[in-house]
Amino acid sequence: MTENYDQSIGSIGEFICEKCGIPLIKSQVRFKYMNNAFPVELLMCPKCKFIYVPEELAMGKVLKVEKSLEDK
Amino acid sequence: MKNYLIGETKSVCPVCLKVIKAYKVEKERKDEEEIKGIFLDKTCPEHGEYSTLIWEGDATSYLAWNRENTLNDSQFYQTDIEKGCPYDCGLCPEHKQDTCCVLLEVTNQCNLHCPVCFASAGDAVKQEPTLQEIGYYYETLMENGGPFNIQLSGGEPTMRNDLCDIIRLGREKGFSYFQLNTNGIRLGEEEALARNLKRAGLNSVFLQFDSMTEKPYEILRGKPLFYIKEKAIENCAKAGLGVVLVPTLVLDVNVNEIGSILQFAIDNLPDIRGVHFQPISYFGRCGLTAPQRRLTIPRVLSEIEKQTNSVMHANDFQGGSVEHSHCSFHGNFMKQADGHIKAIIGSKADCKCSSNQTREFVAKRWSAAKCCKKKEEEQEKCENGSTTSLDDFLERMEMFTLAVSGMVFQDAFNLDLERLQRCKIGEINKEGKRIPFCAYNLTSVSGKSLYRNE
Repeated sequence: MTENYDQSIGSIGEFICEKCGIPLIKSQVRFKYMNNAFPVELLMCPKCKFIYVPEELAMGKVLKVEKSLEDK
Repeated sequence: MKNYLIGETKSVCPVCLKVIKAYKVEKERKDEEEIKGIFLDKTCPEHGEYSTLIWEGDATSYLAWNRENTLNDSQFYQTDIEKGCPYDCGLCPEHKQDTCCVLLEVTNQCNLHCPVCFASAGDAVKQEPTLQEIGYYYETLMENGGPFNIQLSGGEPTMRNDLCDIIRLGREKGFSYFQLNTNGIRLGEEEALARNLKRAGLNSVFLQFDSMTEKPYEILRGKPLFYIKEKAIENCAKAGLGVVLVPTLVLDVNVNEIGSILQFAIDNLPDIRGVHFQPISYFGRCGLTAPQRRLTIPRVLSEIEKQTNSVMHANDFQGGSVEHSHCSFHGNFMKQADGHIKAIIGSKADCKCSSNQTREFVAKRWSAAKCCKKKEEEQEKCENGSTTSLDDFLERMEMFTLAVSGMVFQDAFNLDLERLQRCKIGEINKEGKRIPFCAYNLTSVSGKSLYRNE
C-alpha cells in the first residue's frame, strides 16, 4: 500500500461507478469526526453520490487525523 | 445539605500508615470557609477521624469524570502479595495497570533547596547510583515489560556530569524516550548542555515553571528564577528539545498565574509542547500544611476556564484513560492560523487504553515538533482530488497544539488505594522494582516513609 494517496490515485486513471456506469468526478465533500470537519476533494459519482475513499487515504491521513483527535 | 455516601475504598491512617476503610461522601463542610464537595472520610481506631476534600463539585460531576478502563494490562509482577496494598509494591499482582513512565532518580543532589521538595533532595550525603547500577536498572526494566518512557529525575539530574552517558546507556539498552525533570538552572546557564543532551538522545524537558513573576519562585524555590527559565527554554529550542512547563500549584501563591502561564505557552508554540500542572502534594519535605480547601481537579479546571476567559473551557478536558481518571486531566488546544485557539476533543467514552499507547502518545506530544507539511509541488501532483485540509490539520496538530494536563498526586490524607492500583508512573528502587509514584513518596505526618530510603 502506498502512503501517498495523491500520487496513487493520480496514476490509476479514470474510475467508473459500478452501479451507474458513469465516470466519477472530482467533488467537494466533508469528512466529519466528532466536532471536526475537513473539506476535501474526492471522486464522487454525480448520479448516486457514491464517494470513493481510497484505502491509502483511509489508512493513511484519515487514520492519522483520527488518532490525533483521539489521543491514541 | 445531607451527607451522601457515594463510594467506599481503602486508604491509610496519616499517623501510623495502617490501612483503613475510607468513604467517599458528598457533603458541605464549614471550617474557615464553606466547602461543598466529595470528601474522603476515614477513621483510625488509634489516631482518630480524618476528612479530606478530594473533589470540589457534586456527586454527579465526580462520577461523570470516571472513564472506566476495562483493560488490565499489568503483566509483569516482581513481588508477591504478602501484607497487602500498599505494602507489597514492586509491582504486585494487585496492581491493575502496567507502567507507562519510570522515574529514575539519578542523584539526590540539588542546586536549589526548595522548601516544598517531595523528594527531600539536597541532603548533605550524596546518593547517586553508578552508571553500572543504572545499567542494571535498565536491564531489569527491559525484562519486566520495558521499554518504558524514562524520566530522569532527582534531586536535580543536571547535577550529574555524566547525564549524557546515562541517556546513551539507556538508548543502547533499548529505551527510546527520555524526559528530563529539571529546574532548568544549568540548561539556562550553559547553552551547550541542551545541545549535548539532545545529541545523547534526550527528547523532552519537563521544566519546573511555577510562575511568570518572581515572587512565587522566591516562596517555593527560595530565589528568583524566571529569567533563567526563559533562557533554558531558549537553549532547549535551539537544541531541538521539546519543553513542557510544569507549574507546582499552591493556593495563595501561584494559582492566579495559571492563565498567564498558559498564554506564555501558546505564545511560544511550537518550542513549548505542553503545560503540566501539579497541585502541590503534602509529602516529602513539604513544609506547608494542607489547607482545608485543597486544590482538586474541578477547581484547577475552573481556574483555567476563568483565567483564559473561557478560551479553554472545563468541558474541553477529560480524565486519564490509563491511570485512574481521578488522578489526572488533559486536553489539547490547537492554535489556528488566525491565532484562534480551538479545543481538540476526542470521544469521552470508556476505553481499553494500554500503557503502551500512552507511552507513544506522551512521547509524540512532548517531544519537539517535526515539520510535516508537504512541499507545494508535491501537493500539486494531486490530479483527482485534494486533501489539503487533512494535511493542514496534521501540520497544525504537530506544530501548534498545546497539551494541557495535570496530575493530582496523593498523600497520606487523600490516598485512595483504588487510584494507587491504577498508577502508571513507577519510581525504580535499588532492587530495580517499580514502586507507584504516590506509594514511593508517601510519608506519615511524622515523616516516616513507606518506600523512600528504605
